[in-house]
Amino acid sequence: MDQSILLIDDEEGIRKVLGIYLSDMGYQVFLAENGEQGSRIFRKEKPPIVLVDIKMPGMDGIELLRIIKEEIPDTEVIMITGHGDMDLAIKSLKLEATDFVTKPINDDVLEIALKRAHERLTMRRLLREHTNNLEQLVRDKTKKLVEAEKLAAVGQTVAGLSHAIKNIASGLKGGAFVLEKGLELDSRKYLMQGWEMVKGNVDKITKLSMDLLNYAKVTDVNYKLSEPNQQVHEVVSVMQHQAKELGIHLKIELAPDLKAFYFDPELIHWCLLNLVSNAIDACMEDDLDNNGKVVLVKTVKAKGWGVEFQVIDNCCGMDEEIKENIFQGFYSTKGTKGTGIGLMITKKIVDGHKGVIEVESKKSVGSTFIIRLPEKLQP
Amino acid sequence: MLQHKPAKNQSLRIVLKINPLKILVVDDEPDMRIFVSTVVETMGFDPIMAENGTEALEKVQSILPALIILDVMMPKIEDGVKTYQLLKTDKRLDQIPIIMLSAIAKKTFFHFIRILSPQNGPGIPEPEAYMEKPPDAAELVKIIENLLLNKTQK
Repeated sequence: MDQSILLIDDEEGIRKVLGIYLSDMGYQVFLAENGEQGSRIFRKEKPPIVLVDIKMPGMDGIELLRIIKEEIPDTEVIMITGHGDMDLAIKSLKLEATDFVTKPINDDVLEIALKRAHERLTMRRLLREHTNNLEQLVRDKTKKLVEAEKLAAVGQTVAGLSHAIKNIASGLKGGAFVLEKGLELDSRKYLMQGWEMVKGNVDKITKLSMDLLNYAKVTDVNYKLSEPNQQVHEVVSVMQHQAKELGIHLKIELAPDLKAFYFDPELIHWCLLNLVSNAIDACMEDDLDNNGKVVLVKTVKAKGWGVEFQVIDNCCGMDEEIKENIFQGFYSTKGTKGTGIGLMITKKIVDGHKGVIEVESKKSVGSTFIIRLPEKLQP
Repeated sequence: MLQHKPAKNQSLRIVLKINPLKILVVDDEPDMRIFVSTVVETMGFDPIMAENGTEALEKVQSILPALIILDVMMPKIEDGVKTYQLLKTDKRLDQIPIIMLSAIAKKTFFHFIRILSPQNGPGIPEPEAYMEKPPDAAELVKIIENLLLNKTQK
Protein backbone atom coordinates (compact mmCIF):
# COMPACT_ATOMS: atom_id res chain seq x y z
CA MET A 1 0.00 0.00 0.00
CA ASP A 2 1.51 3.22 -1.11
CA GLN A 3 -0.13 5.56 1.36
CA SER A 4 0.88 7.59 4.31
CA ILE A 5 -0.76 7.67 7.70
CA LEU A 6 -0.21 9.94 10.65
CA LEU A 7 -0.45 8.46 14.13
CA ILE A 8 -0.69 10.76 17.13
CA ASP A 9 -0.69 9.36 20.64
CA ASP A 10 0.91 10.52 23.82
CA GLU A 11 1.59 6.92 24.96
CA GLU A 12 4.90 5.75 23.60
CA GLY A 13 3.90 2.10 23.80
CA ILE A 14 0.90 2.58 21.55
CA ARG A 15 2.93 4.62 19.05
CA LYS A 16 5.48 1.82 18.88
CA VAL A 17 3.09 -1.13 18.56
CA LEU A 18 0.64 0.58 16.20
CA GLY A 19 3.53 2.08 14.23
CA ILE A 20 4.97 -1.36 13.55
CA TYR A 21 1.56 -2.80 12.77
CA LEU A 22 0.74 -0.04 10.29
CA SER A 23 4.17 -0.26 8.66
CA ASP A 24 3.59 -3.98 8.24
CA MET A 25 0.33 -3.20 6.49
CA GLY A 26 2.35 -1.18 4.00
CA TYR A 27 1.73 2.37 5.21
CA GLN A 28 4.32 5.05 5.37
CA VAL A 29 3.85 6.02 9.03
CA PHE A 30 4.45 9.41 10.58
CA LEU A 31 4.44 9.55 14.36
CA ALA A 32 3.65 12.43 16.69
CA GLU A 33 3.40 12.45 20.49
CA ASN A 34 1.08 15.45 20.95
CA GLY A 35 -1.46 17.60 19.16
CA GLU A 36 0.92 20.44 18.32
CA GLN A 37 3.50 18.15 16.76
CA GLY A 38 0.74 16.25 15.03
CA SER A 39 -0.69 19.35 13.41
CA ARG A 40 2.78 20.42 12.21
CA ILE A 41 3.42 17.05 10.57
CA PHE A 42 -0.11 17.02 9.15
CA ARG A 43 0.41 20.38 7.45
CA LYS A 44 3.74 19.25 6.04
CA GLU A 45 2.91 15.73 4.88
CA LYS A 46 -0.83 15.99 4.23
CA PRO A 47 -1.51 12.29 4.90
CA PRO A 48 -4.92 11.08 3.69
CA ILE A 49 -5.51 9.14 6.92
CA VAL A 50 -4.89 10.30 10.47
CA LEU A 51 -5.14 8.15 13.57
CA VAL A 52 -5.39 10.25 16.69
CA ASP A 53 -5.78 9.65 20.40
CA ILE A 54 -8.78 11.52 21.66
CA LYS A 55 -7.34 12.40 25.06
CA MET A 56 -3.97 14.04 25.17
CA PRO A 57 -2.39 16.71 27.30
CA GLY A 58 -2.24 20.06 25.57
CA MET A 59 -4.06 20.06 22.22
CA ASP A 60 -6.35 17.05 22.41
CA GLY A 61 -7.67 14.81 19.65
CA ILE A 62 -10.95 16.72 19.25
CA GLU A 63 -9.13 20.00 18.74
CA LEU A 64 -6.75 18.42 16.22
CA LEU A 65 -9.70 16.81 14.41
CA ARG A 66 -11.31 20.22 14.13
CA ILE A 67 -8.12 21.72 12.64
CA ILE A 68 -7.65 18.87 10.17
CA LYS A 69 -11.24 18.96 8.98
CA GLU A 70 -10.99 22.68 8.54
CA GLU A 71 -7.78 22.56 6.54
CA ILE A 72 -8.26 19.44 4.43
CA PRO A 73 -11.84 18.26 4.89
CA ASP A 74 -11.29 15.11 2.85
CA THR A 75 -8.82 13.70 5.34
CA GLU A 76 -10.03 10.50 7.03
CA VAL A 77 -9.59 10.84 10.76
CA ILE A 78 -9.91 7.78 12.99
CA MET A 79 -10.13 8.49 16.71
CA ILE A 80 -8.52 6.29 19.35
CA THR A 81 -10.62 6.30 22.50
CA GLY A 82 -10.34 4.83 25.96
CA HIS A 83 -13.16 3.23 27.97
CA GLY A 84 -15.67 5.76 29.13
CA ASP A 85 -14.83 8.24 26.42
CA MET A 86 -18.13 7.59 24.68
CA ASP A 87 -19.26 11.23 24.88
CA LEU A 88 -16.04 12.39 23.32
CA ALA A 89 -16.27 9.70 20.67
CA ILE A 90 -19.73 10.83 19.70
CA LYS A 91 -18.59 14.43 19.64
CA SER A 92 -15.76 13.43 17.27
CA LEU A 93 -18.22 11.72 14.96
CA LYS A 94 -20.24 14.88 14.90
CA LEU A 95 -17.09 16.65 13.81
CA GLU A 96 -16.90 14.18 10.96
CA ALA A 97 -14.36 11.74 12.23
CA THR A 98 -14.48 8.60 10.08
CA ASP A 99 -14.63 6.14 12.90
CA PHE A 100 -13.27 5.38 16.32
CA VAL A 101 -11.43 2.44 17.77
CA THR A 102 -11.32 1.68 21.48
CA LYS A 103 -8.25 0.88 23.49
CA PRO A 104 -6.96 -1.73 23.89
CA ILE A 105 -6.85 -1.77 20.16
CA ASN A 106 -8.09 -4.88 18.48
CA ASP A 107 -6.28 -5.51 15.19
CA ASP A 108 -9.43 -6.56 13.39
CA VAL A 109 -11.38 -3.49 14.51
CA LEU A 110 -8.54 -1.23 13.40
CA GLU A 111 -8.35 -3.02 10.07
CA ILE A 112 -12.05 -2.54 9.49
CA ALA A 113 -11.80 1.15 10.40
CA LEU A 114 -8.90 1.61 8.00
CA LYS A 115 -10.71 -0.27 5.30
CA ARG A 116 -13.69 2.00 5.67
CA ALA A 117 -11.43 5.03 5.55
CA HIS A 118 -9.95 3.73 2.32
CA GLU A 119 -13.32 3.05 0.81
CA ARG A 120 -14.43 6.53 1.59
CA LEU A 121 -11.26 7.98 0.12
CA THR A 122 -11.67 5.96 -3.06
CA MET A 123 -15.33 6.79 -3.33
CA ARG A 124 -14.68 10.45 -2.86
CA ARG A 125 -11.94 10.36 -5.51
CA LEU A 126 -14.23 8.60 -7.98
CA LEU A 127 -17.02 10.97 -7.23
CA ARG A 128 -14.75 13.93 -7.81
CA GLU A 129 -13.50 12.48 -11.08
CA HIS A 130 -17.02 11.79 -12.14
CA THR A 131 -18.12 15.31 -11.25
CA ASN A 132 -15.15 16.75 -13.10
CA ASN A 133 -16.01 14.64 -16.11
CA LEU A 134 -19.58 15.81 -15.96
CA GLU A 135 -18.51 19.42 -15.68
CA GLN A 136 -16.15 18.94 -18.60
CA LEU A 137 -18.95 17.31 -20.54
CA VAL A 138 -21.25 20.24 -19.80
CA ARG A 139 -18.53 22.68 -20.85
CA ASP A 140 -17.92 20.79 -24.11
CA LYS A 141 -21.60 20.54 -24.93
CA THR A 142 -22.20 24.18 -24.08
CA LYS A 143 -19.36 25.21 -26.34
CA LYS A 144 -20.81 23.15 -29.16
CA LEU A 145 -24.26 24.59 -28.58
CA VAL A 146 -22.94 28.15 -28.65
CA GLU A 147 -21.08 27.38 -31.85
CA ALA A 148 -24.23 25.92 -33.38
CA GLU A 149 -26.20 29.00 -32.39
CA LYS A 150 -23.55 31.25 -33.85
CA LEU A 151 -23.73 29.29 -37.07
CA ALA A 152 -27.50 29.61 -37.08
CA ALA A 153 -27.17 33.38 -36.63
CA VAL A 154 -24.67 33.50 -39.48
CA GLY A 155 -27.08 31.44 -41.56
CA GLN A 156 -29.90 33.90 -40.90
CA THR A 157 -27.65 36.82 -41.73
CA VAL A 158 -26.58 35.19 -44.95
CA ALA A 159 -30.20 34.46 -45.86
CA GLY A 160 -31.18 38.09 -45.27
CA LEU A 161 -28.20 39.33 -47.19
CA SER A 162 -28.87 37.03 -50.11
CA HIS A 163 -32.44 38.33 -50.24
CA ALA A 164 -31.17 41.92 -50.44
CA ILE A 165 -28.69 41.00 -53.17
CA LYS A 166 -31.31 38.99 -55.06
CA ASN A 167 -33.53 42.08 -55.15
CA ILE A 168 -30.74 44.19 -56.55
CA ALA A 169 -29.77 41.49 -59.03
CA SER A 170 -33.34 41.28 -60.30
CA GLY A 171 -33.40 45.07 -60.65
CA LEU A 172 -30.17 44.94 -62.64
CA LYS A 173 -31.49 42.13 -64.78
CA GLY A 174 -34.68 44.07 -65.45
CA GLY A 175 -32.69 47.18 -66.27
CA ALA A 176 -30.50 45.23 -68.67
CA PHE A 177 -33.62 43.87 -70.41
CA VAL A 178 -35.13 47.33 -70.83
CA LEU A 179 -31.77 48.65 -72.10
CA GLU A 180 -31.53 45.81 -74.61
CA LYS A 181 -35.01 46.53 -75.88
CA GLY A 182 -33.97 50.16 -76.22
CA LEU A 183 -31.00 49.19 -78.36
CA GLU A 184 -32.99 46.66 -80.35
CA LEU A 185 -35.87 49.01 -81.10
CA ASP A 186 -33.79 52.16 -81.11
CA SER A 187 -36.11 53.57 -78.45
CA ARG A 188 -34.79 56.49 -76.48
CA LYS A 189 -37.49 55.95 -73.82
CA TYR A 190 -36.37 52.38 -73.12
CA LEU A 191 -32.72 53.36 -73.20
CA MET A 192 -33.26 56.07 -70.61
CA GLN A 193 -35.48 53.92 -68.38
CA GLY A 194 -33.14 50.94 -68.56
CA TRP A 195 -30.15 53.12 -67.89
CA GLU A 196 -31.84 54.65 -64.82
CA MET A 197 -32.68 51.20 -63.49
CA VAL A 198 -29.11 50.00 -63.91
CA LYS A 199 -27.72 53.14 -62.30
CA GLY A 200 -30.16 52.98 -59.40
CA ASN A 201 -29.31 49.38 -58.67
CA VAL A 202 -25.59 50.01 -58.91
CA ASP A 203 -26.11 52.73 -56.30
CA LYS A 204 -28.05 50.29 -54.16
CA ILE A 205 -25.35 47.64 -54.23
CA THR A 206 -22.70 50.25 -53.55
CA LYS A 207 -24.65 51.41 -50.53
CA LEU A 208 -25.19 47.83 -49.41
CA SER A 209 -21.49 47.06 -49.53
CA MET A 210 -20.67 50.29 -47.66
CA ASP A 211 -23.24 49.44 -45.02
CA LEU A 212 -21.82 45.97 -44.61
CA LEU A 213 -18.35 47.41 -44.29
CA ASN A 214 -19.64 49.81 -41.65
CA TYR A 215 -21.30 46.98 -39.82
CA ALA A 216 -18.02 45.10 -39.67
CA LYS A 217 -16.19 48.24 -38.53
CA VAL A 218 -18.41 49.33 -35.67
CA THR A 219 -16.91 46.83 -33.27
CA ASP A 220 -14.34 49.48 -32.32
CA VAL A 221 -15.78 52.39 -30.41
CA ASN A 222 -13.34 55.27 -30.63
CA TYR A 223 -14.15 57.40 -27.58
CA LYS A 224 -13.51 61.12 -27.84
CA LEU A 225 -14.64 63.96 -25.60
CA SER A 226 -17.55 65.32 -27.65
CA GLU A 227 -20.56 67.60 -27.44
CA PRO A 228 -23.85 65.80 -28.08
CA ASN A 229 -25.54 68.96 -29.42
CA GLN A 230 -22.72 69.40 -31.92
CA GLN A 231 -23.63 66.06 -33.49
CA VAL A 232 -27.22 67.12 -33.95
CA HIS A 233 -26.13 70.37 -35.63
CA GLU A 234 -23.87 68.50 -38.02
CA VAL A 235 -26.43 65.86 -38.97
CA VAL A 236 -29.21 68.38 -39.47
CA SER A 237 -27.03 70.61 -41.64
CA VAL A 238 -26.18 67.59 -43.81
CA MET A 239 -29.86 66.62 -44.20
CA GLN A 240 -31.46 70.08 -44.30
CA HIS A 241 -31.14 70.50 -48.04
CA GLN A 242 -32.71 67.15 -48.91
CA ALA A 243 -35.51 67.67 -46.39
CA LYS A 244 -36.34 71.08 -47.81
CA GLU A 245 -36.48 69.74 -51.35
CA LEU A 246 -38.96 67.09 -50.25
CA GLY A 247 -41.06 69.63 -48.40
CA ILE A 248 -40.28 68.36 -44.92
CA HIS A 249 -39.62 70.64 -41.96
CA LEU A 250 -36.46 69.42 -40.27
CA LYS A 251 -36.25 71.11 -36.89
CA ILE A 252 -34.06 70.92 -33.80
CA GLU A 253 -34.67 71.48 -30.13
CA LEU A 254 -31.54 71.24 -27.98
CA ALA A 255 -31.12 71.00 -24.25
CA PRO A 256 -28.87 73.90 -23.14
CA ASP A 257 -27.38 72.17 -20.11
CA LEU A 258 -25.59 69.27 -21.80
CA LYS A 259 -21.94 68.70 -20.97
CA ALA A 260 -19.37 67.12 -23.23
CA PHE A 261 -18.60 63.50 -22.41
CA TYR A 262 -16.90 60.56 -24.02
CA PHE A 263 -18.52 58.83 -26.98
CA ASP A 264 -17.55 58.09 -30.56
CA PRO A 265 -18.66 61.20 -32.48
CA GLU A 266 -18.35 59.55 -35.90
CA LEU A 267 -20.43 56.52 -34.98
CA ILE A 268 -23.09 58.56 -33.20
CA HIS A 269 -23.18 60.93 -36.16
CA TRP A 270 -23.83 57.89 -38.31
CA CYS A 271 -26.67 56.71 -36.04
CA LEU A 272 -28.40 60.10 -36.02
CA LEU A 273 -27.99 60.43 -39.77
CA ASN A 274 -29.57 57.02 -40.18
CA LEU A 275 -32.51 57.87 -37.91
CA VAL A 276 -33.11 61.23 -39.59
CA SER A 277 -32.98 59.77 -43.07
CA ASN A 278 -35.37 56.99 -41.96
CA ALA A 279 -37.73 59.66 -40.64
CA ILE A 280 -37.57 61.46 -43.97
CA ASP A 281 -38.24 58.19 -45.81
CA ALA A 282 -41.24 57.61 -43.53
CA CYS A 283 -42.57 61.06 -44.44
CA MET A 284 -42.22 60.29 -48.13
CA GLU A 285 -44.45 57.24 -47.62
CA ASP A 286 -47.09 59.43 -46.11
CA ASP A 287 -49.84 61.30 -47.93
CA LEU A 288 -49.91 64.25 -45.52
CA ASP A 289 -49.98 67.53 -47.36
CA ASN A 290 -46.55 69.01 -47.67
CA ASN A 291 -46.75 71.63 -44.97
CA GLY A 292 -47.59 69.17 -42.27
CA LYS A 293 -44.54 66.92 -42.43
CA VAL A 294 -42.16 67.51 -39.56
CA VAL A 295 -39.01 65.76 -38.43
CA LEU A 296 -37.74 66.98 -35.07
CA VAL A 297 -34.33 66.15 -33.60
CA LYS A 298 -34.14 66.76 -29.87
CA THR A 299 -31.59 66.44 -27.13
CA VAL A 300 -32.71 65.97 -23.55
CA LYS A 301 -30.75 65.69 -20.32
CA ALA A 302 -32.06 62.38 -19.08
CA LYS A 303 -31.34 61.53 -15.48
CA GLY A 304 -28.44 59.10 -15.16
CA TRP A 305 -27.43 59.46 -18.82
CA GLY A 306 -25.06 61.72 -20.70
CA VAL A 307 -27.68 62.56 -23.27
CA GLU A 308 -30.95 61.42 -24.73
CA PHE A 309 -31.31 61.97 -28.45
CA GLN A 310 -34.81 61.91 -29.89
CA VAL A 311 -35.69 61.74 -33.56
CA ILE A 312 -39.40 62.39 -33.93
CA ASP A 313 -41.54 62.33 -37.04
CA ASN A 314 -45.27 62.82 -37.49
CA CYS A 315 -45.53 60.57 -40.50
CA CYS A 316 -46.62 57.05 -41.31
CA GLY A 317 -45.68 55.30 -38.05
CA MET A 318 -45.39 51.56 -37.50
CA ASP A 319 -47.62 48.82 -36.24
CA GLU A 320 -46.58 46.40 -33.48
CA GLU A 321 -45.34 43.74 -35.85
CA ILE A 322 -42.97 46.09 -37.63
CA LYS A 323 -41.80 47.62 -34.35
CA GLU A 324 -40.78 44.23 -33.05
CA ASN A 325 -38.64 43.47 -36.05
CA ILE A 326 -36.92 46.70 -36.97
CA PHE A 327 -33.71 46.13 -35.02
CA GLN A 328 -33.24 42.71 -36.51
CA GLY A 329 -30.85 42.38 -39.34
CA PHE A 330 -32.11 42.70 -42.89
CA TYR A 331 -35.66 43.54 -41.92
CA SER A 332 -36.92 46.35 -44.09
CA THR A 333 -40.26 47.93 -44.85
CA LYS A 334 -38.89 49.83 -47.80
CA GLY A 335 -39.07 46.99 -50.29
CA THR A 336 -36.01 46.96 -52.48
CA LYS A 337 -35.23 50.50 -51.42
CA GLY A 338 -34.01 49.30 -48.04
CA THR A 339 -31.73 46.51 -46.94
CA GLY A 340 -32.55 46.43 -43.23
CA ILE A 341 -28.96 47.10 -42.29
CA GLY A 342 -29.29 50.70 -41.09
CA LEU A 343 -31.08 50.10 -37.79
CA MET A 344 -29.10 46.92 -37.24
CA ILE A 345 -25.88 48.98 -37.34
CA THR A 346 -27.41 51.76 -35.26
CA LYS A 347 -28.32 49.29 -32.56
CA LYS A 348 -24.87 47.73 -32.67
CA ILE A 349 -23.26 51.15 -32.24
CA VAL A 350 -25.53 52.07 -29.34
CA ASP A 351 -24.92 48.68 -27.72
CA GLY A 352 -21.19 49.27 -28.18
CA HIS A 353 -21.56 52.47 -26.14
CA LYS A 354 -23.55 50.54 -23.49
CA GLY A 355 -26.44 52.83 -24.33
CA VAL A 356 -30.06 52.04 -25.12
CA ILE A 357 -32.15 52.52 -28.21
CA GLU A 358 -35.92 52.56 -28.02
CA VAL A 359 -38.79 53.27 -30.31
CA GLU A 360 -42.29 54.53 -29.73
CA SER A 361 -44.60 54.50 -32.67
CA LYS A 362 -48.22 54.58 -33.59
CA LYS A 363 -49.56 53.73 -36.99
CA SER A 364 -50.51 56.92 -38.87
CA VAL A 365 -49.39 59.11 -35.96
CA GLY A 366 -45.64 59.00 -36.12
CA SER A 367 -42.52 57.50 -34.59
CA THR A 368 -40.00 58.55 -31.98
CA PHE A 369 -36.58 56.93 -31.87
CA ILE A 370 -34.66 57.44 -28.65
CA ILE A 371 -30.96 56.89 -28.06
CA ARG A 372 -29.54 57.28 -24.57
CA LEU A 373 -25.80 57.29 -24.04
CA PRO A 374 -24.14 56.81 -20.66
CA GLU A 375 -22.18 59.78 -19.36
CA LYS A 376 -18.68 58.45 -19.74
CA LEU A 377 -16.28 60.91 -18.16
CA GLN A 378 -13.03 59.14 -18.97
CA PRO A 379 -11.77 57.94 -22.34
CA MET B 1 -68.01 52.82 -65.55
CA LEU B 2 -69.78 50.47 -63.19
CA GLN B 3 -73.03 52.32 -63.50
CA HIS B 4 -73.20 51.36 -67.17
CA LYS B 5 -73.45 47.72 -66.26
CA PRO B 6 -76.31 46.34 -68.32
CA ALA B 7 -79.00 44.63 -66.29
CA LYS B 8 -79.06 41.07 -67.49
CA ASN B 9 -80.36 37.77 -66.26
CA GLN B 10 -78.55 37.14 -62.97
CA SER B 11 -77.85 33.51 -63.70
CA LEU B 12 -75.96 34.46 -66.82
CA ARG B 13 -72.45 35.71 -66.72
CA ILE B 14 -72.19 39.31 -67.61
CA VAL B 15 -69.99 39.67 -70.61
CA LEU B 16 -67.38 42.29 -70.02
CA LYS B 17 -66.28 44.66 -72.68
CA ILE B 18 -62.67 43.86 -72.25
CA ASN B 19 -59.93 45.96 -73.75
CA PRO B 20 -57.96 43.30 -75.60
CA LEU B 21 -54.73 45.27 -75.72
CA LYS B 22 -54.57 46.65 -72.21
CA ILE B 23 -52.59 44.89 -69.51
CA LEU B 24 -52.56 46.15 -65.93
CA VAL B 25 -49.17 45.93 -64.18
CA VAL B 26 -49.44 46.20 -60.40
CA ASP B 27 -46.24 46.52 -58.40
CA ASP B 28 -45.06 48.90 -55.71
CA GLU B 29 -41.49 48.85 -56.98
CA PRO B 30 -40.84 51.25 -59.85
CA ASP B 31 -38.08 49.04 -61.30
CA MET B 32 -40.39 46.07 -61.51
CA ARG B 33 -43.19 48.14 -63.05
CA ILE B 34 -40.88 49.48 -65.73
CA PHE B 35 -39.45 46.05 -66.45
CA VAL B 36 -42.80 44.28 -66.72
CA SER B 37 -44.31 47.19 -68.69
CA THR B 38 -41.44 47.03 -71.14
CA VAL B 39 -41.97 43.31 -71.62
CA VAL B 40 -45.69 43.89 -72.19
CA GLU B 41 -45.17 46.90 -74.42
CA THR B 42 -42.58 45.24 -76.64
CA MET B 43 -45.06 42.42 -77.18
CA GLY B 44 -47.44 44.96 -78.64
CA PHE B 45 -49.73 45.47 -75.66
CA ASP B 46 -50.56 48.66 -73.88
CA PRO B 47 -49.41 48.53 -70.23
CA ILE B 48 -51.30 50.42 -67.52
CA MET B 49 -49.51 50.78 -64.22
CA ALA B 50 -50.72 50.74 -60.64
CA GLU B 51 -48.67 51.09 -57.47
CA ASN B 52 -50.99 49.51 -54.93
CA GLY B 53 -54.10 47.43 -54.46
CA THR B 54 -56.56 50.33 -54.29
CA GLU B 55 -55.25 51.92 -57.46
CA ALA B 56 -55.28 48.52 -59.13
CA LEU B 57 -58.94 47.88 -58.31
CA GLU B 58 -59.94 51.31 -59.59
CA LYS B 59 -58.09 50.82 -62.85
CA VAL B 60 -59.36 47.28 -63.39
CA GLN B 61 -62.94 48.53 -63.17
CA SER B 62 -62.44 51.59 -65.34
CA ILE B 63 -60.18 50.04 -67.96
CA LEU B 64 -61.19 46.36 -67.97
CA PRO B 65 -57.81 45.08 -69.10
CA ALA B 66 -57.26 41.75 -70.84
CA LEU B 67 -54.80 40.65 -68.20
CA ILE B 68 -53.55 41.64 -64.75
CA ILE B 69 -49.96 41.09 -63.65
CA LEU B 70 -50.07 41.38 -59.89
CA ASP B 71 -47.29 41.55 -57.31
CA VAL B 72 -48.08 39.73 -54.06
CA MET B 73 -46.00 41.88 -51.72
CA MET B 74 -47.13 45.49 -51.83
CA PRO B 75 -45.31 46.18 -49.51
CA LYS B 76 -46.89 43.64 -47.21
CA ILE B 77 -48.45 40.43 -48.39
CA GLU B 78 -51.97 41.44 -47.30
CA ASP B 79 -52.34 44.14 -49.92
CA GLY B 80 -51.49 41.84 -52.82
CA VAL B 81 -53.48 38.87 -51.56
CA LYS B 82 -56.51 41.00 -50.68
CA THR B 83 -56.48 42.62 -54.08
CA TYR B 84 -56.32 39.16 -55.60
CA GLN B 85 -59.19 37.96 -53.42
CA LEU B 86 -61.37 40.94 -54.35
CA LEU B 87 -60.69 40.47 -58.04
CA LYS B 88 -61.33 36.74 -58.02
CA THR B 89 -64.52 36.91 -55.96
CA ASP B 90 -66.03 39.65 -58.10
CA LYS B 91 -68.62 38.08 -60.38
CA ARG B 92 -67.59 40.29 -63.27
CA LEU B 93 -63.92 40.88 -62.82
CA ASP B 94 -63.06 37.26 -62.13
CA GLN B 95 -63.06 36.66 -65.87
CA ILE B 96 -59.86 38.63 -66.25
CA PRO B 97 -56.87 36.31 -65.99
CA ILE B 98 -54.22 37.12 -63.42
CA ILE B 99 -50.51 36.37 -63.39
CA MET B 100 -49.22 36.46 -59.84
CA LEU B 101 -45.69 37.74 -59.67
CA SER B 102 -44.10 37.17 -56.34
CA ALA B 103 -41.03 37.02 -54.19
CA ILE B 104 -42.75 34.43 -52.02
CA ALA B 105 -42.96 30.76 -52.85
CA LYS B 106 -46.08 29.52 -54.63
CA LYS B 107 -46.92 27.26 -51.69
CA THR B 108 -47.01 30.16 -49.24
CA PHE B 109 -49.29 32.14 -51.50
CA PHE B 110 -51.75 29.27 -51.96
CA HIS B 111 -51.72 28.71 -48.22
CA PHE B 112 -52.77 32.34 -47.78
CA ILE B 113 -55.54 31.96 -50.31
CA ARG B 114 -56.88 28.87 -48.55
CA ILE B 115 -56.95 30.73 -45.25
CA LEU B 116 -58.87 33.59 -46.82
CA SER B 117 -61.40 31.33 -48.48
CA PRO B 118 -64.76 31.19 -46.70
CA GLN B 119 -65.08 27.86 -44.88
CA ASN B 120 -68.10 26.41 -46.64
CA GLY B 121 -67.91 28.60 -49.68
CA PRO B 122 -66.58 27.78 -53.09
CA GLY B 123 -63.06 28.93 -52.21
CA ILE B 124 -60.96 31.39 -54.07
CA PRO B 125 -59.79 30.07 -57.42
CA GLU B 126 -56.12 29.79 -58.19
CA PRO B 127 -54.49 32.36 -60.43
CA GLU B 128 -54.15 31.56 -64.12
CA ALA B 129 -50.37 31.68 -63.73
CA TYR B 130 -47.84 32.06 -60.99
CA MET B 131 -44.32 33.31 -61.41
CA GLU B 132 -41.66 33.74 -58.79
CA LYS B 133 -39.54 36.86 -58.77
CA PRO B 134 -37.21 37.77 -60.31
CA PRO B 135 -39.20 37.11 -63.47
CA ASP B 136 -37.48 35.97 -66.58
CA ALA B 137 -38.51 38.07 -69.59
CA ALA B 138 -38.77 35.14 -72.03
CA GLU B 139 -40.84 33.10 -69.61
CA LEU B 140 -43.17 36.00 -68.92
CA VAL B 141 -43.67 36.51 -72.65
CA LYS B 142 -44.59 32.84 -73.03
CA ILE B 143 -47.11 32.96 -70.19
CA ILE B 144 -48.77 36.09 -71.54
CA GLU B 145 -48.98 34.58 -75.04
CA ASN B 146 -50.52 31.39 -73.65
CA LEU B 147 -53.14 33.17 -71.60
CA LEU B 148 -54.24 35.69 -74.17
CA LEU B 149 -54.10 33.20 -77.02
CA ASN B 150 -56.32 30.74 -75.13
CA LYS B 151 -58.69 33.53 -74.32
CA THR B 152 -59.19 34.52 -77.95
CA GLN B 153 -59.75 30.91 -78.93
CA LYS B 154 -62.68 30.57 -76.55
